[in-house]
Amino acid sequence: MKLPSAVGTAAVVGAGAFAWIAGAVALWPTEVPGDLRLPHVDAAGLFTPAQLHEAERFETFLRWNGILSELVVLVVLTIYARGGTRFIRESAAGRIGTGMLLGMLGLGILWFTQVPFGLAALWWERRHGIVDVGYVEWFVGYWFGLAGEFGFICLALLIVMVCAGQLRDRWWVAGAPAFVALYALFAWSYPYLVPDLRPLRDPELRAASQRFARAQGIDPVPVSVEDVSAFTNAPNAEAAGTGGSRRIILWNTLLDGRFPDHEVEVVIAHELGHQSRDHVLKSIGWYALLAVPGTFAIALATRRQGSLREARAVPVALFVFVALSLAAQPLQAFVARRMEAEADWVALETTKDPRSARTLFEHFTTEALADPSPPRWSALLFDTHPSTLQRIEMAEAWRIRRGR
Amino acid sequence: MNERPVRLVLRDDLRRSRLTVFFRLFLAIPHLFWFWIWASAVSATVFVQWLVTVVRARPITALNTFHVHFVRYGAQLTAYVALAANPFPGFLGEPGYPVEVEIDPAERQSRLSAGFRLLLAIPALWMLALVNSVAIGGAFAVFLVGAGVVFTAAFLGWFAALVRGTMPRGLRNIAAYGIRYTAEVWAYLLLVVERYPSSDPTLPGEAGALPFRPIRLVVTDDRRRSRLTTFFRGFLVVPHIVWLVLWGVVVVLAVLVNWFVLLARGRGVSALDRFVAAYLRYQLHVAAFLWLIANPFPGFAGRQGYPVDLEIDRPDRQARLVTAFRLFLAIPSWIISGALQWLVLAAGIGGWFAALVTGRMPEGLRNAGAHGLRYVAQANGYAYLLTDRYPFAGPPTEAQPPQLLLDEAP
Repeated sequence: MKLPSAVGTAAVVGAGAFAWIAGAVALWPTEVPGDLRLPHVDAAGLFTPAQLHEAERFETFLRWNGILSELVVLVVLTIYARGGTRFIRESAAGRIGTGMLLGMLGLGILWFTQVPFGLAALWWERRHGIVDVGYVEWFVGYWFGLAGEFGFICLALLIVMVCAGQLRDRWWVAGAPAFVALYALFAWSYPYLVPDLRPLRDPELRAASQRFARAQGIDPVPVSVEDVSAFTNAPNAEAAGTGGSRRIILWNTLLDGRFPDHEVEVVIAHELGHQSRDHVLKSIGWYALLAVPGTFAIALATRRQGSLREARAVPVALFVFVALSLAAQPLQAFVARRMEAEADWVALETTKDPRSARTLFEHFTTEALADPSPPRWSALLFDTHPSTLQRIEMAEAWRIRRGR
Repeated sequence: MNERPVRLVLRDDLRRSRLTVFFRLFLAIPHLFWFWIWASAVSATVFVQWLVTVVRARPITALNTFHVHFVRYGAQLTAYVALAANPFPGFLGEPGYPVEVEIDPAERQSRLSAGFRLLLAIPALWMLALVNSVAIGGAFAVFLVGAGVVFTAAFLGWFAALVRGTMPRGLRNIAAYGIRYTAEVWAYLLLVVERYPSSDPTLPGEAGALPFRPIRLVVTDDRRRSRLTTFFRGFLVVPHIVWLVLWGVVVVLAVLVNWFVLLARGRGVSALDRFVAAYLRYQLHVAAFLWLIANPFPGFAGRQGYPVDLEIDRPDRQARLVTAFRLFLAIPSWIISGALQWLVLAAGIGGWFAALVTGRMPEGLRNAGAHGLRYVAQANGYAYLLTDRYPFAGPPTEAQPPQLLLDEAP
């Protein structure tokens, strides 16, 4: 018996929604105890008024600079979505080649509009001694970064337009898995793409890393050091790779003597927490959960232009893609904060050293000018890490809970 | 071309004395020494000429005559050293040499143009460095690749003229182009003429029309350029570069298979020929787009119809001997390709600035770039076994339509 189309559509949408929720539920849990209550810690008791003022001022400028630049992106892409098709006349290529040209030109125009914001941010960071990059050096890097973006958008449009050539409006059914596969490939290969990596030489930190890995129930993960001192003195670290490519990457700015070993150990334990709790794989899962409705929405939005089978749909698709990315930003930030909080908790459970965690986070404010308590709306919209104060409060909560 | 104030005159019959060719550089020593003395004097007189021209908008006639003779002498000397002409030239730059330049009499000049002449000449001097001389580079390979077209023509022509007793017409013509451009730049710099030097490679009819080749260039470009795509040109070509490399890997295999087939039966596999021909056409489209010789973003299949395109005849039977040694025989053509690619590069970079400002590609730069690409395509077609006819290095002549650099039919 043939079902009426509305019922069929509803069934498909219902099944999709169910699968999406099931996926989200599977990815949602963290090891941070659900009943954990963070004690109040007064920032004024940890930092001097001058330090607090400096960090707040520093981040406020960057925040509004970022918001303005995103607004400009939306305005520019709106205009491009309406008039970008006129550049079709600049192409002698077929539909896919012309689509690539329109995608690249869209990014090129965006690049122009973002230069002032990039320069403003650089000026501000230089003024506060956070980065050492010169303006020319920055511009050259920014310029050549565009080549990578062009390469990426061409690959993305190639996938989409080939799929759309076969499946028309339903290209997203094949396109979304292709993007997820690419994302997974990138996540796996990322550690091999980072330049200037060298193995961690400090024997004590290496021993601590192996000890922590065992404590977290995983095999030892290689720890590498990335030389970033030519560009910045801000401290940072990351967990990268999946499976055999798993790696902890410490910026050498963490090892320049400003941070004592016991604080660096907290960083290593935190990054190992990302690895032991499969956060990279979970990120791929979340990406998949966003990619499916995202590509579907783009397919829906470009229907009037004849779907992404046609090059003229590319400017609209670019606008929808960026708009959706901005709309999904709070959700992505929220998920990222949960993962970071879990990694913090795992690090505390591993090192059992809340004092070092606390001083480490205090250092982040004094060294990297991280605002210890940014405005709530800003944290909800943009921040991918808990605030410094929340991290200190978690260390305090762990101490109280374990009676140390 | 006749409206140019500096014109090339070609009366050379291509015959060369093997003895003077062999000792050409040494024979030129007294001339080089004399040229150096003359150039030292000119470096002083040009300053006087500059001051006077800026003040009264007209150069001093006597000094102008002196400079005209110097430019003409320089052209004659270059032609002699570069083997573009055979007889030992006179020392006074008098007319009558087989390869020389005619220069219009002095006229009024704009004070502004005269005042900033040195500054204005910088792009032309830069272009001249690539057309005429040798790029900076320590390693021998870089030296060869970076050699300007005149030097390359002289280098290869030396061997050819020694063996055959004649200079190949293509090499003579490409050297003649460099000589004319050099003379134009010097005449401009020395305030002999006011008109900006044109890098257009078109030669006078006496140079002889382009000989028939199975791989021909067709230019239908209107010189309009989109400023936006011009600005991002270097990056817009990224997907094409990736595709060129991937396609190129398969083309190498196809050429290899065709080489064996050609050796066995004297004729290649048609399907492979078509496949390689499409790649050759695609290479040209991408290069034309990258260096602003054409405007639109090219397709990825190497189909015909691009504003700078190739007509490729169906490959005919090819001599087995030429096929067997094709890789070695192609070496001189690669050397010339290397030199002409510098010309294309110069045209592309110069054209980039011009197109950004005016939205159009200057005709001279477009034609110079197109000429370079034509030769590169013919050289690659020869190496890819699409033809056994050796590429012709000379530029087109006035006898051919200026907008349509279509090589002559058989």
